Amino acid sequence: MGDRLPLTAVAWTLGAFLVAAIPHLLAMPQVLAGVVVAACIWRLLASRYDWRAPPGWLRVTLTLVVIALLLVSYGGEWGRRSATGLLCLMLAAKMMELWRIRDLRLVASVSFFLVATQFLFNERLVYLGYLLAGALVAICALYSIQAVESGHRRAPGGSRSILRNGAVMLLAAVPVALVLFVTFPRLAQPLWGLPDEVMDGRTGLSDSMSPGAIANLFADDSPAFRAEFGDRPPPREQLYWRGPVLWRFDGDTWEQAFLPTRVPARPVPPSRDDYRYSVQLEPHERHWLFALDYPVSAPENARISLDFQITSRHPVTTLKRYEVRSNPEFTDMPELSDPLRRLALDLPGDRNPRTRAMARELRARFDDDRELVAYVLRWLSEEPFFYSLETSPLARHGADEFLFDLRTGYCEYYASAFAVMMRFADIPARIVTGYLGGYWQENGGYMLVRNSDAHAWVEVWLDGSGWTRVDPTAAVSPERVESGSQSVSGARDGLFESEWLRDLRNRYDRLQYLWNNWVLGFDSDRQRRLMQWFGLPEVSRTGMALIMIAALALVVSALAWAWLGYRPRAADPVQRAWQRLLVRMARRGLGKRAQESPRDWVERLAPRIDHAGELQALVDDYCRIHYGPGTNRSQQQQFIERSRRFRPRRTEPRGATVV
Amino acid sequence: MAHVKADPGRGRGALVALLDRWLKRRTRLDLPITLGYRQIFILPTRFGWMLGLLMGAMLVGSLNFNNNLGLLTTFIVAAVAVNSMLLAYRNLHGLSIRRGNAAPVHAGRPLCYRLSLTQKDNRPRPDLVVRAGPRLARLDLPAASAGEARLNLPTHHRGWQAVGRLRVETTHPLGLFRAWSWIEPSAPCLVWPQPAEQVPPLPEHGTPRQGSQARQRDEGEEFHSLRQWREGDPLHRIAWKATQRHQTLLSREFREERSREIFLDLQRTPGRDLEERIRIVTAWILRAHAEGRSWSLKLGTKTLGPAGDPPHLRECLRALAEW
Repeated sequence: MGDRLPLTAVAWTLGAFLVAAIPHLLAMPQVLAGVVVAACIWRLLASRYDWRAPPGWLRVTLTLVVIALLLVSYGGEWGRRSATGLLCLMLAAKMMELWRIRDLRLVASVSFFLVATQFLFNERLVYLGYLLAGALVAICALYSIQAVESGHRRAPGGSRSILRNGAVMLLAAVPVALVLFVTFPRLAQPLWGLPDEVMDGRTGLSDSMSPGAIANLFADDSPAFRAEFGDRPPPREQLYWRGPVLWRFDGDTWEQAFLPTRVPARPVPPSRDDYRYSVQLEPHERHWLFALDYPVSAPENARISLDFQITSRHPVTTLKRYEVRSNPEFTDMPELSDPLRRLALDLPGDRNPRTRAMARELRARFDDDRELVAYVLRWLSEEPFFYSLETSPLARHGADEFLFDLRTGYCEYYASAFAVMMRFADIPARIVTGYLGGYWQENGGYMLVRNSDAHAWVEVWLDGSGWTRVDPTAAVSPERVESGSQSVSGARDGLFESEWLRDLRNRYDRLQYLWNNWVLGFDSDRQRRLMQWFGLPEVSRTGMALIMIAALALVVSALAWAWLGYRPRAADPVQRAWQRLLVRMARRGLGKRAQESPRDWVERLAPRIDHAGELQALVDDYCRIHYGPGTNRSQQQQFIERSRRFRPRRTEPRGATVV
Repeated sequence: MAHVKADPGRGRGALVALLDRWLKRRTRLDLPITLGYRQIFILPTRFGWMLGLLMGAMLVGSLNFNNNLGLLTTFIVAAVAVNSMLLAYRNLHGLSIRRGNAAPVHAGRPLCYRLSLTQKDNRPRPDLVVRAGPRLARLDLPAASAGEARLNLPTHHRGWQAVGRLRVETTHPLGLFRAWSWIEPSAPCLVWPQPAEQVPPLPEHGTPRQGSQARQRDEGEEFHSLRQWREGDPLHRIAWKATQRHQTLLSREFREERSREIFLDLQRTPGRDLEERIRIVTAWILRAHAEGRSWSLKLGTKTLGPAGDPPHLRECLRALAEW
């Protein structure tokens, strides 16, 4: 192909690339996204105005500049984001040498790859649309490229025909793809390490807490996880989903302690009143899993630490499903060891003098820890404290400022200040972050917990009852606990809070839930269960492969049959009647041979059937209508009628036929 | 008649010979032929292999990260490839190749081999390629119709030239798979000898009866040309009008219409070897035909003609080609 590539093929190919790149471009630094888009526009204009390819040295220089730009904007860190960014940029650089058919094909097919890499970041239901659109445009691009290769300047039938062909192709691909999806043997263990790099700043709980830093989490309505309970969820006041437990406080930030995360927890005995549920956790790129207090046993590849955090061995990068059992009637740590007590009482000495003074005073007033805790909670609810997401960051004496000046904040402020006061009062305290409550999907039988349900509360160690949950936020704003974060963050935006929209969101989430369950959560375990459902209890990996091959053969032969047997109906009714006649004759062993003309056929058949004259007349009519000059409708109608009635009989026995 | 095999474009080794024999055993290659299961072969194209590699990478990555949407993407690509294979096969399946023929040409000129393809199916068959080695002809066959692929084959030697093995192939619809069929038309094509470039003048009076050259008369009834007036030209021959235009005396020359036959004898034709003599005779015949004269051609003991019409020309050229 010496001459330039036609605009349509180039446009389709660029379209395939851009559609596949959209989510990547949105996640990329804007400069780089701009470079990619500019390269595409340049290539399109080059095709339109017949520009020539830039010289080699320029191409190399530009490519190196772009890669340098990438390294700078990602700070030299190597992760999934920078890798896909590099892929996008390399494809953009490819635009400068997109002058041959094979280059076009390369770009179009790498678009498929680009679509697949996006799912390392997000696999939500909406991305099914992205997948289908990306595949469709790439197939169309391959179609138009093929038209170029076969010597057409443009595809016959134009872009509409390409689109139709591409859609048919994609539609016909669905059965095979589904069979493969269901039967392809899955890996129970990854072949190589999962990425630890957390490049994609997804919102979610972090492993530290500094009041005022993460208010944006409450605006994030995306699901954090869903929990399936048999028929009814546990009562609202039990729905504290335990996440990271924070022990260490440096005056500004609460952090996890190394020790409690390493030491395994005391086993929780199962009881009859346990909650059994399974959790479908959205990927959050961290190690922790969420469960209600107190998890009886850890899911596979995870363990429970001393402070009853469940940590998974691998970061949760794809949708994760696990079964949990929680026993709410459990005393956590009836005896507190000295090192732990020290850890749970440790405070920087030079901060929050007013809080310390109040704690000292309370300590002198109350002998009993329980009474002290109850007093502080009462104090919080009686004094003018407010729950609000609009707060200002705290300075050096955070607890003092909050408790005595500001008095407005959300869970993190309350939990932090409360824990500080407890520690000053010599009561061991720690902060637990996680989620509170959730939305019960009546029809789905699951509880949807959004990121906006994030919460922080305090656990204090009390003699006799061990670590005891205290939620200072509840003392201030009981409705936060009862009806979730929606109640307090209300009136944020009229439109987003309208009833039907929320209803729509919940409906959509049920779809998303089914999607997660049946598509994303489909793993080797589900595969095994599906096979059991089909009556195949024990299927080995090899057996699975054999099932796959068999199913595939079945579907492909069905497809082959459909493709090969497919004859579009003749548009012409005369032609249709003629074909039906031929089929009917062939069924009697009187079919027309391929090389025979209609007249030869009659000649051969005449001695062997009765009503040969009738057939002769039919064939003559057919030839006149089909090959001759224009005929009127009544003649055609007559032919159709007569050919429909024609049912000849053989005059000679079948065995005597000599062909 | 030497059986010249067209090179199918790959190096020939023992393996290829083996495959050749197997191919011959497996399937009929001669025309007319309707392509069916036994005739159609299918393999991925280079681009197909490349996409396969890409799919492998996508598969391993998605399996490793247990990424179900990535897997789904991979499987959709795989399914599209499977469909593309079926469609490539379907594009050839049921295609009939009735016959092939070519008008004879002189050696060295390309032979335009025309292959007539038909189909009864009610669907178009785009992107058909008929290939002979590096040469190819492209063709789109509309629904329920016939078409002709025109393939320019090189010719080197006079005589009957076998077309050799042709490949009817398609990479429709996505260029991922190439389905192909071998055909080997048994009817050869005629290649006339190449006319010589440096040709001695036609042997005008070379009739075997006279043996000596008869003097050509200048006079005739038919106006032939104008020439410079020469001493002795009769005055009534002077073309006055033309003379006035060109400012020099011109006289009209008349010649007798050349209806006398030319006798060509391959044996007596000058030339170093047989091939050169044949080429010269070919050129003579062509010139004689162009000038509208009749000639007879003696080849060994056989004499063709005399005649000057196109059938005679073709007969002579064919005889020379076969000689």
